[in-house]
Amino acid sequence: MSLFSRLFSLLTQAMLWLAAFISVFPFYWMIAGATNTANDITGGKFTLGTNLIPNITKFFELVDVPLVFFNSLVVAIGGTVLTLIVASLAGYGFEMFRSKTRDRIFGGLLLMLSVPFAAMMIPLFVMFSGVGLMNTYFAIIAPGIASIFMIFYFRQNTKAFPSELRDAARMDGLQEWQIFLRIYMPVMRSTYAAAMIILFMTNWNAYLWPLIVLQTNDMKTIQLVVASLATAYTPDYGLIMVANVLATLPTILVFFLLQRRFVEGMLGGVK
Amino acid sequence: MSGLKLTGLRKNYGAHQVIKGVDLVVEPKEFVVFVGPSGCGKSTLLRMIAGLEEISGGDLTIGGVRMNEVDASKRGIAMVFQSYALYPHMTVRENMGFALKYAGESAANIARRVNEAAKILELHKLMDRKPRDLSGGQRQRVAIGRAIVRHPEVFLFDEPLSNLDAELRVQMRIEIARLHKELQTTIIYVTHDQVEAMTLADKIVVLREGLIEQTGAPLTLYDDPDNQFVAGFIGSPRMNFLPAVVKNGALTLPEYDGQVIPMPPVAAKLAEGAEVTVGIRPEHFRTGGSASLDLTIELIEHLGGESFAYARQGKANVITIATGTGRNWASGERIQATFDPASVLLFTAQGARVR
Repeated sequence: MSLFSRLFSLLTQAMLWLAAFISVFPFYWMIAGATNTANDITGGKFTLGTNLIPNITKFFELVDVPLVFFNSLVVAIGGTVLTLIVASLAGYGFEMFRSKTRDRIFGGLLLMLSVPFAAMMIPLFVMFSGVGLMNTYFAIIAPGIASIFMIFYFRQNTKAFPSELRDAARMDGLQEWQIFLRIYMPVMRSTYAAAMIILFMTNWNAYLWPLIVLQTNDMKTIQLVVASLATAYTPDYGLIMVANVLATLPTILVFFLLQRRFVEGMLGGVK
Repeated sequence: MSGLKLTGLRKNYGAHQVIKGVDLVVEPKEFVVFVGPSGCGKSTLLRMIAGLEEISGGDLTIGGVRMNEVDASKRGIAMVFQSYALYPHMTVRENMGFALKYAGESAANIARRVNEAAKILELHKLMDRKPRDLSGGQRQRVAIGRAIVRHPEVFLFDEPLSNLDAELRVQMRIEIARLHKELQTTIIYVTHDQVEAMTLADKIVVLREGLIEQTGAPLTLYDDPDNQFVAGFIGSPRMNFLPAVVKNGALTLPEYDGQVIPMPPVAAKLAEGAEVTVGIRPEHFRTGGSASLDLTIELIEHLGGESFAYARQGKANVITIATGTGRNWASGERIQATFDPASVLLFTAQGARVR
């Protein structure tokens, strides 16, 4: 191996280690923080401590954890399932049905991706308060159901769905909705899995819109609770880190359960 | 088994007409092959018969019943697709029984019919495997099995052997011929491979640009084509076409140094100076005859049992010559390629056959 290629290899490895460190260290710090007191954390301690149990106990005393998790799960699961249904139906429709206006409508949708959420926040608030939906789960979930990014993602992946499978299903006597349910959905399960992880994470971590539409403590999601812990005059970082660890667990669980399918789905797999 | 009748069948995509009025009768139990170059409309025509494409005009009857608006699943048709189109998430058994399950057949009946088809196609050992665990040939057999279990009136095959390698293609071709004999069903088969068409068909339908050029038995199309297109399409290697001029009751070949060959026996009177095209099949050089062409061999292909010489004179088009074993021929050699003038076909400048 020449000196140049050895240097190049060393440099590549160094870059990768740096990237890995930048990605993993905050996660480690969060876990280490959960085991330390606020003073230790602000004092710059990075190693594991002994304050985990008191931090957890204090968190469970301060927060109605089952209720908060229930709220978060309703929002995350509800949002994920409804978005998957709407986006995959739309993606399937856009790809499968020929129409002169199809690409114009799709182009219009893509254009809407450039509108920032901040610009839609107030109109959405006015709309939802107008129809009396404030402080409901549906209010959190609804604006994200017709996710343009997800429709785009499903349409792109549907291009890999063999049209002859649809023809074969039609010959076998299936109606369009049956083809979607019995053939398209099982065949595209990797695409669904990848979308499910992204959507679950997005809905679970949603902060700004829930903050706007949720008005009572009994409806608060875990992200709002974590944020509220940080707003005290002297924030208890150990407590905050415990809350963060707990808030991260479901996302990690979903990712590990669907990991293989996630990779296939992101590669546009049809299995 | 039912026959089919296509009367003035048309298909438009907007202003673009892809099938321009097709009239065809397919007899019960007949094996009909649609051939033609890419984009000629053969697959579209098949999909119209299947009910996968709407019919823009004309009538389609199957077993005497008009089927234009009838749903694909209710036409009594089963189709085998080029890419097999097996459901990847189902086992072979589930794939084969799927249509019957949807038609509301009892589990016992489904099992009986699936096993019956599996026996015909020797699929027993593969029944619980998923399509991804099968080879190309096995997948194709499953696809055929899926069609058989439905006991259709008509089988449609859309280029079913295109995705297989050469050896498997020959095997499957024999298998399909055997199945036709055994099941005694009406089959419509689309291919661009004229060898498949010649070996399988009772009747070949040659299509070009959405129209039927000629319909007939394989050897009729080979021996007696209606036009230059059919003559060129049927037969492998392709027929040689040489531009010629009628002069003094013989044919002069201006591109071949003005060589003269005798006029083949045709009833039509050709005017002096008329421009025509001479068609000579490569294999007609093998048997020899009283007519000949002086040519220089450019290249020789030895296939073992047969050799093909590619020869020309000057800048004229290359002529393919089947030489039999032809092992003593060499590139650059000047030869006299002999043939029987009676085997030569004549076409007008517009491509119509002169008989």
